[in-house]
Amino acid sequence: MFKELDPILHSQLRLAVMSLLIGVKEADFTFIREKTNATAGNLSVQVQKLKDAGYIEVVKQFKDNYPLTTCKITPKGIEAFDAYVKALQQYLQVGKG
Amino acid sequence: MQPDKEFSPQDSLALIQTMISKTKDSFADNTFYFLFWGWLVFGCSLVSYSLKVLLHYPNHYFIWWLIPVGGVITWVYGARQAKKERVKSFVDEALDHVWLGVGLAFFVLVLVNVLGSQTWQTAFTYYILLYGIGTFVTGNLIRFKPLVLGGLINFVLAVVSVRFGYDSQLLIGALAILISYIIPGHLLRARLQKNTSQHA
Repeated sequence: MFKELDPILHSQLRLAVMSLLIGVKEADFTFIREKTNATAGNLSVQVQKLKDAGYIEVVKQFKDNYPLTTCKITPKGIEAFDAYVKALQQYLQVGKG
Repeated sequence: MQPDKEFSPQDSLALIQTMISKTKDSFADNTFYFLFWGWLVFGCSLVSYSLKVLLHYPNHYFIWWLIPVGGVITWVYGARQAKKERVKSFVDEALDHVWLGVGLAFFVLVLVNVLGSQTWQTAFTYYILLYGIGTFVTGNLIRFKPLVLGGLINFVLAVVSVRFGYDSQLLIGALAILISYIIPGHLLRARLQKNTSQHA
């Protein structure tokens, strides 16, 4: 029986954001946008979904009058990512056999 | 990236690998600190030696007042860089703490030397030891061998320095900072610039 893949993570851009954030302490919105090649609008929507799921923490502040959005993965996000990767492994192992 | 309907587990795994590789081993360019402090301490050591030993100038230690000035410059620079920082890796965070610890230890050592008696005789031994700890840990965290090697050589120089008087220790200190900060700092800067131009 397959574990169902977490629908929040099983989406290209959201998974890309989570995979970036898993390796760093925190990253700002522009950095994530550059690395994922996403549009600002689409990224905003997906970041909001991840935030609503409790997978990431989003801090909005101003630095020198410029808005700065910093994202950071939460313990719940790490857990979900871990579970997602394990579920993927299960799929792939079955696929091999 | 487009929203997608069919996104296979293989695609997922490939995407995770690609994204993780983009942040793997990433660290901010911290060569300014090595070069700034390297050249500052190197210069102060040589000027102090010249004033004391060659010119017999009684207030030779005045040159060291440049160190707190350097501290202020570093602090301002660091605060400005923090504003520009777009990503903070775990290595960056670890480095911040290592150098904060080393910086505090330097400060404490200065107090010990000022308040204690006869402590100047071994001052450079401990300064060299601190340079060594900072560069050895940094070099290992960012996997840059010249810094690790510089740190190891400093551990040896710290031992060697106790066999010499204060005047010679000024020169050993200059040598230590050349080996552990200046040379690795320039090599690291060259490597980072090369990487940046390759990725541009």
